[in-house]
Amino acid sequence: MANTSGLLRYEEFFKPGSSLARERPEPKFPALLLPALNPLLANGLCRGTIAEVSGQRSSGRTSVAMHILAQATACGEICAVIDLYNNFYPASAQAAGVELNRLIWVRCRGNAEHAIRATDLLLHAGGFGVVLLDLCDAPARVLNRIPLSYWYRFRRAVEHTPAILLLCADSPQAKSCASYSIELKPKVFYWTGKAPFLLLRGMEAIAMLRRIRSLSVALPVSSLQVMV
Amino acid sequence: MYACVYVADPQAGQQLLALALEFSPAVEQASPETAVFPIGALRTLIGSPYQIASEICRLGHERKLEANLAIASNPDTAILLARHFSGVTLVSAGEEHLKLAPIPLQSLFAYDTTLDPVLLEILQRWGLKTCEDLAGLPERGVAERLGKPGVYLRRLACGAIDRPLRVPAPVTNYEERVELEHALHLLEPLLFLLGRALGELCSRLRSQSRAARVLGARFDLEEDTQRLRANPYCCELEFPVPLDQAQTILKLLQLHLERHPPEAPVTAFTLRVDPVEPRRIQGGMFLPPTPPADKLQVTLARIAAMVGQENAGTPMLLNTHRPDAFQMTGLNMDAAGKSPNARPEAGQKIRLAMRLFRPALAARIRLAGTAPKAVTAVGIKGTVLRCAGPWKTSGEWWTSTSWAREEWDVALDDGGLYRIYCKLPVVKWYIDGVYD
Repeated sequence: MANTSGLLRYEEFFKPGSSLARERPEPKFPALLLPALNPLLANGLCRGTIAEVSGQRSSGRTSVAMHILAQATACGEICAVIDLYNNFYPASAQAAGVELNRLIWVRCRGNAEHAIRATDLLLHAGGFGVVLLDLCDAPARVLNRIPLSYWYRFRRAVEHTPAILLLCADSPQAKSCASYSIELKPKVFYWTGKAPFLLLRGMEAIAMLRRIRSLSVALPVSSLQVMV
Repeated sequence: MYACVYVADPQAGQQLLALALEFSPAVEQASPETAVFPIGALRTLIGSPYQIASEICRLGHERKLEANLAIASNPDTAILLARHFSGVTLVSAGEEHLKLAPIPLQSLFAYDTTLDPVLLEILQRWGLKTCEDLAGLPERGVAERLGKPGVYLRRLACGAIDRPLRVPAPVTNYEERVELEHALHLLEPLLFLLGRALGELCSRLRSQSRAARVLGARFDLEEDTQRLRANPYCCELEFPVPLDQAQTILKLLQLHLERHPPEAPVTAFTLRVDPVEPRRIQGGMFLPPTPPADKLQVTLARIAAMVGQENAGTPMLLNTHRPDAFQMTGLNMDAAGKSPNARPEAGQKIRLAMRLFRPALAARIRLAGTAPKAVTAVGIKGTVLRCAGPWKTSGEWWTSTSWAREEWDVALDDGGLYRIYCKLPVVKWYIDGVYD
């Protein structure tokens, strides 16, 4: 009996390397709540993660990204936008609820290397709520040049910090490094009035959660209404 | 205990100050003929107040200074005694009012010129002539009749005012100049010397509880054969928040010099900082953390060095209806650090955002009547499914930035929803952006 109890204690104390590697302390920062995305992310976006929003043009990806920025800046956080092709529209962002005086905008004029380095610098500086890396409309030859190791580097930079790296692109880029991956597809555009006197009112998109941190949950599909 | 040395000749003010500085670094010189300094610390060095007085007299005699000396427990009493009694006067603590008793009230008003002369007339009408007369009055009665100045005057007459010395702040030089034996061609050794000079300046700033808002640098350049006298290279860095860390300032200076290097080897340099109050903020317990101001400045400077100064910053919308009118500014940490505006309506729904093409894409539009029918541009081609417009806008016709255009929202069969516009008066079509 004495030997058995001693063995148990030994097993409790010494663990294999694989189980040690799995034991990572969970970040203790409160998640960024996104009420408009409740059907997809009921608990919001966890801090210290990479989240991706992807889709084709007019799929609502920028609207979703602006909504996330608006929520973060409304909480008093300082956010950053790294804009690869100088497409960010400050007036539209302000209309979407983003507080521009808490925003840092970096225009990279099509230089993907600058965009990646600027992201790296901002993530390592710390203290940001959301860092948005906008790679929308970037051709495949540019995106394929980004080394995969950078996404691992970014994941290491943001984990255990209150920052969220939000990636916006035509297709998912960060692969397994992303904790959340939302894919959007345009469904219908809403117009009011009768031709030729029409007025654009908004759009509806299908949002699919392709990846989430805890894989045990069923990945939901929802329709998002994006209104002017 | 305080010692006061009084000389009748105002011309001997500098000698008097030099004498006082021999005994203490903290000297109050209320007027050119009076110097007061503390002697408490000298008791272990010299001895009793008698011995200290003897030492001061000896040094004054050596310097041929004809002066009065008074030692008392507070500066005001010491000054009054030195001004009124010739020779050496020593007063023990608690006996000030006895020694001050014969001094006329006019002497108090001559000592403190801020006192109202009307007060003296009132006291004289009451029949008071000396400090003893005034000290004999009850404090409460004086307060009821003469108010705060009367109480102050009575306490002055009693020798009961205990205040710290009014020592002028030392004038600190926030400029550092280094002259080199050999001209420096490379930035790295120059940065080593700049770091040392900045370390000196920052330690001076911290000792005075100050921080630098502006750093001015002037580099003297080596003369060459073409230009006998090379113009010095000057630069000025203005920081968004006051800094007092040499490492941070050095990094910002390095990033500036890497972008704008001096044209010739450096033979000497001068660094100057403008001292301001340091930024002191208390973070809110329920506010999210913000980036450290000094670290953020270095990060933004690094990014600005990479993408250009005009491409990194905080966008600020301009007060105009002109499309895409904004200005890049630096991040205001004070405004960003404030508690956010609570907007309950935000977050309940997603607003349609727009991405702009900069510059706008030139397009060829096929019209059906006045409405667009097909759109062709670089990377965009499609037939218009539905469209809304035209929305006519114009403005600022009185300036060079005037605009006039007709805007359309068009949904193309490629799945995109675009905003196109026709520039007026020259009919030229562009794709402004995409709703996304």
